[in-house]
Amino acid sequence: MNRAAKLSLAALGVTLLALVPVVSGNIYLQNLLIMTFLLAVLASGWNIIGGYAGYISLGHSAFIGVGAYTAGILANRWGVSPLVVAPLGGVAAALIALSLSLVTGRTRGAAFVIVTFAMLELLGLVATNWPGLTGGADGLVLPLPSWSVDIQNWPFYYALLLLVVLSVLMSIAIKRSKLGLGLVAIRDDEDKAAGIGVTTPVYKAIAFMASAVLVGVAGSVYGYYVSYLDTSALFDITLSVEVVLAALIGGRGTVWGPVLGAAILQPLIEVTNSSFGGASAGAVRLLLFGGLLVAVALLLPRGLLPELERLARRILRHREPSLTGARLADRPVPEFLRRSAPPVAADGTAPPSLLSVAGVSKRFGGVKALDGASFSVRAGSITALIGPNGSGKTTLFNVMDGTYRASAGEVRLAGDDITEWSRTRRAFAGMGRTYQLPRLFDSLSVLENVAAVTDEFRLRTLLASAVSGAEAERATELLEFVGLGDYVDARASELSYGQRKLVELAQVLMLDPAVILLDEPAAGINPTLIRRLAGLIRSLNETGRTFVIVEHDMHFVLSLCDPVVVLSRGTVIADDGPQAVSSDPAVLEAYLGDDFVAEDIDAPVGAAR
Amino acid sequence: MVAAAALALTAAACGADGGGGESGAASKEPLVIGMSLPLTGPVADRAKPGLEGYRYWVDEINRKGGMLGRQVKLKVLDDGFDQRTAISDYTKLIGQDKVDLILGTFSSDLNLAVAPIAERYKYVYVEPSGGADEIFERNPKYLFFAQPATTQKLPKQFVEMLKRAPADQRPKTVAFVTVDDPNTTQLEEILKRDLGALGIRTVLSSTYAQDATNFDAIVNRVKRANPDLVVSGAVAQDGINVVRSMQKLRFSPKMLYQVNAPTDPAYADGIGEGATEGILTYLGWSAEADYPGNREFVAGYRKQFGAEPSEDAANSYTAGQVLAKAVGEVGKLDQPAIAKWLHANTVETIVGPLRWDAAGRSQGEMLLAQFQDGKLRVIGPPSAATTEKVIYDKPSW
Amino acid sequence: MTLLAQTLIFGLLTGGVYALMSSGFTLTFGVMRVINLAHGALLIVAAFFTWWLWDRTGIDPLLLGLGLTVVMYGIGWVLYKTVIARVQRIDPELTLVASFGVAVAASGVLSLIWGTEARAATPSYFNTSISLGEIVIPRAQLYACVGAVLLLAALYALLRGTFVGRSIRACATSRNGAALVGIDVERTMAQMFAIGAATTAFGGAALAVLYQFVPDSHYVWIGRVLCIVVLGGFGSFAGAAAGAVILGIGEALTAAYWDTRWTTAVPYLLIIAILILRPQGLFGARHRLEGATT
Repeated sequence: MNRAAKLSLAALGVTLLALVPVVSGNIYLQNLLIMTFLLAVLASGWNIIGGYAGYISLGHSAFIGVGAYTAGILANRWGVSPLVVAPLGGVAAALIALSLSLVTGRTRGAAFVIVTFAMLELLGLVATNWPGLTGGADGLVLPLPSWSVDIQNWPFYYALLLLVVLSVLMSIAIKRSKLGLGLVAIRDDEDKAAGIGVTTPVYKAIAFMASAVLVGVAGSVYGYYVSYLDTSALFDITLSVEVVLAALIGGRGTVWGPVLGAAILQPLIEVTNSSFGGASAGAVRLLLFGGLLVAVALLLPRGLLPELERLARRILRHREPSLTGARLADRPVPEFLRRSAPPVAADGTAPPSLLSVAGVSKRFGGVKALDGASFSVRAGSITALIGPNGSGKTTLFNVMDGTYRASAGEVRLAGDDITEWSRTRRAFAGMGRTYQLPRLFDSLSVLENVAAVTDEFRLRTLLASAVSGAEAERATELLEFVGLGDYVDARASELSYGQRKLVELAQVLMLDPAVILLDEPAAGINPTLIRRLAGLIRSLNETGRTFVIVEHDMHFVLSLCDPVVVLSRGTVIADDGPQAVSSDPAVLEAYLGDDFVAEDIDAPVGAAR
Repeated sequence: MVAAAALALTAAACGADGGGGESGAASKEPLVIGMSLPLTGPVADRAKPGLEGYRYWVDEINRKGGMLGRQVKLKVLDDGFDQRTAISDYTKLIGQDKVDLILGTFSSDLNLAVAPIAERYKYVYVEPSGGADEIFERNPKYLFFAQPATTQKLPKQFVEMLKRAPADQRPKTVAFVTVDDPNTTQLEEILKRDLGALGIRTVLSSTYAQDATNFDAIVNRVKRANPDLVVSGAVAQDGINVVRSMQKLRFSPKMLYQVNAPTDPAYADGIGEGATEGILTYLGWSAEADYPGNREFVAGYRKQFGAEPSEDAANSYTAGQVLAKAVGEVGKLDQPAIAKWLHANTVETIVGPLRWDAAGRSQGEMLLAQFQDGKLRVIGPPSAATTEKVIYDKPSW
Repeated sequence: MTLLAQTLIFGLLTGGVYALMSSGFTLTFGVMRVINLAHGALLIVAAFFTWWLWDRTGIDPLLLGLGLTVVMYGIGWVLYKTVIARVQRIDPELTLVASFGVAVAASGVLSLIWGTEARAATPSYFNTSISLGEIVIPRAQLYACVGAVLLLAALYALLRGTFVGRSIRACATSRNGAALVGIDVERTMAQMFAIGAATTAFGGAALAVLYQFVPDSHYVWIGRVLCIVVLGGFGSFAGAAAGAVILGIGEALTAAYWDTRWTTAVPYLLIIAILILRPQGLFGARHRLEGATT
């Protein structure tokens, strides 16, 4: 379905919903839809942090409470309608979200779930035990709606319908923005995301605020609808669970999934309430609820919408054109990479050191992976870093790019001491890195994988669309350059191993880096691709870009790199031109003697993952 | 957008069959009375007898020919003690099912949430529970409380008894152990004021959360304060736990006034038979009271359900009585007229004659009762007392 | 001074029981990386079994708790095979959701069978105590705490000294490694989960004697267990024990010296404070899985 068709269908749906109260006048139906809208706003908000960023919140209903109490208290103090101050409820919710994300900056996964649960309970307790502000356990009584009974619940209905529309629009905007791509990147691989310029704490804080703000406004409206605020009802874990359930049923991470989930769940709750009369109704409801949660997790782990989409694709036999045969075309280095290339020393003097490590050690418990390693990388060079397995090459990469903090020693980049810098800051400063096993964001398309990269932090770029416009053009150009122009719309998970390596290279280039760390670029890919890779590295090097390459393929190393740094047992044992190194007896003993031959001959050909 | 469209379609479909159609009083269709009760969740053990009280009342009224010549049918929903559900249930009863009349639910929390709906759609709302002040603060015109008195006047007879007590038997110090609930915190305020006026000094005042589970540390504070009188503002089982903790810590105050918990059928089991002696509580209703219809209610209920009626059962029966009387007097299902009639008249019920102020507060009085030989006896007011004996010095447990 | 001593004794006695209650949860996490949100519900299920059998037979509820260990082991095994293992294969993140679903459904089943009235097992000693001068030691608390500590010691011995225990610790360190040396990893996981569930038997029995409970009580108890485990560091056995004692004493001190209303807030305040100040827990090693080792 194209965008225009989707939009007009959505507009039709909203129009129909807007007509319901006018046509029907059934207040129960209004109530049902009001509750559905409320759940939809909640689930949509939850989806931004829980679906996009993968941070499951089990306390999202707290923002309903925060919104409702803020608006209720202010309305009572200032003598205005709670609807007037409803936006302030949203602001309060966003502020709570912000402070929570500051507090939980370091927590991930399960710990985050627990923190959100604790936040919900704690906010509820604070509201209960602060009677001066909230009325405490006595609750807060709001004035009854002032408008005529003939207007029924229209103001609540339309306010919440508007909030649903806004939630969906926000979800779409975020999904298409660099922020959204960054959030999905965080979900798929948070460490990797930090290395490509995704300022993870900031992204998460913005996402958490975005996920709270409209929920807070909805809470204000809902509080007025109930007209009596009670802590146990407003900071209720059941509602939080309903939210998660709705998002899961519909499909988390999708734009419409949470709304669909709410539209299924809320009527279902109503039906169970009214059809199982009598004493066991609540028990049956619990059973149904719990069973549904388990069933969704077991049978529908990705949610309805993604499953339906997959089914539709299978039925329509809608297949992307086969990619296996696509040719890898040669392209010149993109204009913007040439333009922004750092100048190479042209006067013949030795170029300055761009990146250096000095006396770097790294301990893991009792194991010393690096033991005072020192060397420096000249600007504009292609430096190889070789050594036997376990000699500390990848650990050194991890110390250089900030994945690990060195136990001792320092790392410098272009004169700056970057030892304590975060990964993201190093990325912004011009350091890019690929992995031995390429790490792509499998939920994103190839283009999105590259477009998610940010080379400096700017709020405007963050919120602008990343899948169209300048950033997307830049990403496309880079993909064409590495030879994947035909694959921009493919899923990252559909690519071959070698292609994944090329996408990762394109990601790194998006940072417009001065120095690029490549971890075993030639391992596991076919000879044609190896030659092509060598060509890419050379042409990029000609624009002044510096490379540091960890590699076992000695022909690749010897033909491409100068100098060659040899690492053994965590220290540098040689640092010289390729010819000198390959005849250094210490190197031969430590390394080439046994490993060289074996690795070279056994290097797998082909593109198995 | 598929979701939105689907929802709109369902909505339209629902809207079409929404209207049930109001049939006139002459119709032989049964008259439907709707309610939503917390039949599951934390107060379920009180709502179940409450539902039985309603059931008993309906059976009785149908035996006598129904209401306005029509048989009466109850439509009962369960809200699981959840406000959202309660609101949605009553909205459904009024807006979708178009029931003829509604009756109230249990607990202050739920009644606070439901009352505005009744008010907005002008349905007379007689509630068997929910005496907290906030409910009446908005000056509702359609709400009527079916217990003899709201929280404001709940402990009056207890204070009267202390006034009557011989000077050497009167406690000198009091400690409050109160759950954080609108009902009980108000009670504490009122008693602090009234007991202070009698010269009884408050030595400790401690409030615990509704979901508190361990009372040892709290009761230990009470023990160290060593008051003559302990006022335990409980809502349900928490009262039993407070007493159990006192037993564990070997603290037995001379006088114990506890609300709500002692009328729980599981009370004696919970704290141990024999430990009840001398404990004081208030009663909104007594099985022994001599009000018209009370004996029949107790006997009939016992026969129908094979158990003694609890206070909650009596309260919902009373709510039914009030509604039936008013509808009968008005002679038609005219909600404003029914409300108007109730504001102007007194209704004889099994908890005594009830009348209401402009906001629906009942103007009667609660009874004071004490466990004597394992049974709750009414000891105040003297006019309603079933025994003259009052135990001022509670035996130690 | 007596007040402080008395308060500390309350805290310690409660903490001992808490420690057993959370040991199974922390082991399951340490070995399997499973956050079992149904752990609180398992406690309540065990408490209901205890109460029901005690009501029927009059056998001492704490002794019943020991006997129920087998039953809870079986329930744990079934729960693992039917739900947890499957969800783990599909998407480990969803284990949270699925186990929470199990907890909610379990409270529904309990409500259907035994209703929603609050229950408590009240053996003859439930409201008696031993006096040491001015200090009072409630008998039920004392018995429950002693039983819990003995069971914890037995559990420790099991993990240290038996083949099953060694297999479990091997799996905690490295599943692949364990598989390489011939350990049936899947089976060991199931055993681990079942042992975790088995600890709820005596824990639940103690709960039934010491507290009133309803089917919904599992929220309160999973909250406590989570707090203890966050305090002690995820997966740390000794950490959980220390966390339990800290929570027990913290609650008692709050009730005795501050405002009793805030007692229920103590676990959540501790969770947030710990996660700000020391996210790896008081005893957990950062970025490392301690597993079933002390």
